[in-house]
Amino acid sequence: MEPLDIELDEGELELPNDPMQVNMGPAHPAMHGTVRMVVELSGETITKVDVQIGYLHRGFEKMCERGTWTQVFPYVDRLNYASPMLNNVGFALAVEKMLGVTVPERCQHYRVVLGELARICDHLVCSGAMAMELGAFTPFLYFCKARELIWDVFEEETGARVTHSFGRVGGMAKEPTPAFKEMVRNALPAVRALIDDGEKLLLANRIFLDRIENVGVMPKDLAVALGWTGVVLRSTGVPYDVRKVHPYLTYDRYDFDVPVGTRGDNYDRFMCRQEEIRQSTRIIEQALEQMADEGPINIDDPRIVLPPKDEVYSTIEGTIQHFKIVMEGIKVPAGECYSYTEAGNGELGFYMVSDGSGTPYRVRIRPPCFATMQGIEKMIVGGMVPDVVPTFGSVNMIGGECDH
Amino acid sequence: MSGASLVLSLVKALVVVLFLLNMSAISVWLDRRQSAMLQHRVGPNRAVVYLPAAAVRALLLLPAVLVAGALAVPMWRVVPGFELPRITQGIEAAILFAWFGLMLLAAHVRRNGADNAFEETVGSADPRSYFYGGLVAHLLAAGAIQLLPTSLTTTGDVSWSTGIAGSLAAAVVLGSGFYAGTKVPDGNVGIRLAGTLHALADAIKLIWKEDLRPRRADKLLYALAPLLAIFPALVTFAVIPMGSALCFQDVDRDRMLSFGDLTHLANVLDRSGACPPGHVSLSLAVADLNVGLLYIFAIAGTGIIGAAIAGWASDNKWALLGGLRATSQMVSYEVAMGLSITGMLMIVGAVHMQEIVEWQGRNAWGIFVQPVAFFLFLTALVAETKRVPFDQPEGESEIIAGYFLEYSGMKFGLFFLGEYAEFVFSSALLVTLFFGGYHLPFVDPDGIRIAFGSSTLYELKLTHLAVSLLHIGAFFGKTILMTWLQVFIRWTLPRFRYDQLMRLGWMKLLPIALVNVLVTGLVILAVEAGGPGVASILGTAGQVTQALVALLGVVGTVALVTWMLEPSKPQQFAVSTTARYTLEAGGVKPTKMGA
Repeated sequence: MEPLDIELDEGELELPNDPMQVNMGPAHPAMHGTVRMVVELSGETITKVDVQIGYLHRGFEKMCERGTWTQVFPYVDRLNYASPMLNNVGFALAVEKMLGVTVPERCQHYRVVLGELARICDHLVCSGAMAMELGAFTPFLYFCKARELIWDVFEEETGARVTHSFGRVGGMAKEPTPAFKEMVRNALPAVRALIDDGEKLLLANRIFLDRIENVGVMPKDLAVALGWTGVVLRSTGVPYDVRKVHPYLTYDRYDFDVPVGTRGDNYDRFMCRQEEIRQSTRIIEQALEQMADEGPINIDDPRIVLPPKDEVYSTIEGTIQHFKIVMEGIKVPAGECYSYTEAGNGELGFYMVSDGSGTPYRVRIRPPCFATMQGIEKMIVGGMVPDVVPTFGSVNMIGGECDH
Repeated sequence: MSGASLVLSLVKALVVVLFLLNMSAISVWLDRRQSAMLQHRVGPNRAVVYLPAAAVRALLLLPAVLVAGALAVPMWRVVPGFELPRITQGIEAAILFAWFGLMLLAAHVRRNGADNAFEETVGSADPRSYFYGGLVAHLLAAGAIQLLPTSLTTTGDVSWSTGIAGSLAAAVVLGSGFYAGTKVPDGNVGIRLAGTLHALADAIKLIWKEDLRPRRADKLLYALAPLLAIFPALVTFAVIPMGSALCFQDVDRDRMLSFGDLTHLANVLDRSGACPPGHVSLSLAVADLNVGLLYIFAIAGTGIIGAAIAGWASDNKWALLGGLRATSQMVSYEVAMGLSITGMLMIVGAVHMQEIVEWQGRNAWGIFVQPVAFFLFLTALVAETKRVPFDQPEGESEIIAGYFLEYSGMKFGLFFLGEYAEFVFSSALLVTLFFGGYHLPFVDPDGIRIAFGSSTLYELKLTHLAVSLLHIGAFFGKTILMTWLQVFIRWTLPRFRYDQLMRLGWMKLLPIALVNVLVTGLVILAVEAGGPGVASILGTAGQVTQALVALLGVVGTVALVTWMLEPSKPQQFAVSTTARYTLEAGGVKPTKMGA
């Protein structure tokens, strides 16, 4: 008699068992910011992944070398388009570092308030979008409503809701409006109430917690090795916050905490963001308290700051001053500098070289997302396809700054 | 089967399909409206149909005339022994339409301002006060009519007293209809129906869209899958009774329903609800199958095939993943679904849908008898209809759209429609199994009777027609409420991960369902051993649950009306430039839901 397993062997041979390779992105609903992931699946489990960035590359750094220093502001608006004001402040600080000037204290507080408002927006969008991609739509809409309140403040202050281009070297484009403090103080409690509502829907929900707990874990040492910064790093347990460690502006004068996670999973990232929103509101309240109602916003240096419009039209000095700054640009002394601030996603650095003319010789950006993206592979291999959604959502990859 | 039964079956099938399609459209609208409510904006209501003013007036008047005719004409006929109940019905109907009309008018005036002195008077009060006043008037009228003398005027075949009461109600309806007609402006009037037309416009758009097919897709299966997906959703509704059986007098004595019989609806039924001798009954389910529930499970099971085939035939890896997910999910949850309902079947002792409903009417609603099974069944049902939190097969952020990823045009529309039809059907099934189907608390086949144990608190005789209409209204109303509940679930919960979903199905729902069956069996044995004493206690408990439902219904309605007609302040953020300018210019007009 023939052994029975011969047939079985043949049957096994006919079944193909290659892993399935699928393309996630760049046009995939979860890949906001146009990232492409070539994923190898065994069933639903991810065995291999190749993360490819660069689909939103716009030659940003090259563009910066074409205009004056001031003309870079609209470009930095579009780096992290979820919190443009933080980029504005960061770039302004970098140029001021090269010039060796410090803006007046009132302006520093003003920058802090606007920056922290932008940070709240950034975190709200990230947390909300992550919840929405998990199917929980209502919290997302609550968070959007909260962001709407903040955007109303921005609209009143800067005239634009998203891309403000409001920062200037040596100050801000405009003084705070008379109602600025009142508006922010009115908006903050409403924002906090909406965030509490949205959070209640999510954190009291077993399904949501199951989806994010122990998913997308990043060990502490690897996060440091990859150069992670910001919320994603703090969620792994490293208390590195530029605002605390290397205080800039007036951050050393406020009392605020740096939330830290323990496991570095999606839950920790989500919770760190939510806590940072609360800490930001604390900072804003203190900054509003300390900010003077009167006083200069811009530094008093005609070589850096544009003169008031009435002087431009009525005095020859004003006209020439205006002409020099607009046509030739601010003359930044030759040299190089690296300036870094805490942006929405982490340390946003500007490395800049100046040759003494009015145009940047080189502007190099250190976007926080770029480092973060290197860790994605580690976080999603071994998980399942649905795990990609909260993991990718919680690192808040922003194509605009990643593909610099 | 007689010709009349055949025609009636077709009519019933048409009603079911129309109901499903309309409800699907309305649920789509509701789904979107929900998101609009969260953002304080008006939902999708762009679709407008322009009609000449005369046509709009006719559309407003036609239902009024029909309702008025139905209220007035039968009331002039004498039904022996029913004078007092019928006067009550007429008066109560008049009060109902009066406060409802006044409430709507007051709400309208508050929003759009008064046109004349009458409107100013009506609009000067809070719309809700008409509702509260109406409730009081209902109670007062019910009490006052009991004091009427029992000898009431009748002349031959004509009953003056009930006729006048009916005509009063008809006059109120007609008056409201005419008044609404006068509010229609001249010229062409855009009708939006609160935005529900938008969903229909979407369907029309889908029909005209290009029907794309991936080059390497399987031609036959690709076209077949949407049909297979929508078919079970539509046919499963066939066994669901939409109301109690109608009894017709068997005029030609052939023991079958013929066209001649249809005009001879029985006047009254006795308390058991059985058709008297010499009558034939007409079930209000399209197909009155005695295997009822088994049929539903059998047909609903075939819904898997559509999704699986669509996933396979599309020649797309994401679609394939979606098809696989759909298949395994539906197969898994069917087990839990079948087992969760077993306890109910053990108690009722039948799978015939009408019998299940009647048992619930006699005793207590399923949700009180089998509360655990209700939650199991609801979970499994949501999983079966592939909706959030169980929408992995189409999880748009994970596998893009799952098994119908490649479909476009009306083929996609069929999937979409099938899903919503299934969703409406699942609501109807939940209502039938756990919320007493068409049954209303304290409404017996012969009238309204509020009774606990052997003591009767209130009794009002109703004709067969009135009871049947109440039943049909109750069934559709409950179904709409359940769809609303499901929309709420969809807007609140995030979705499971795939393995978590499987674990929930096999390791939580299934064991709980098994334990539920065991416990139910033990309780049934215990009740049987307990004898008539236990049975009577259970009977009273059943009446208490009915009272509870009635109370919840009234409180819920009052709360809903109070909430919906809450005076709304114009939405203002009051910080932005735009908002400030608007405030200075006199504020924002409160957004309206409809036109």
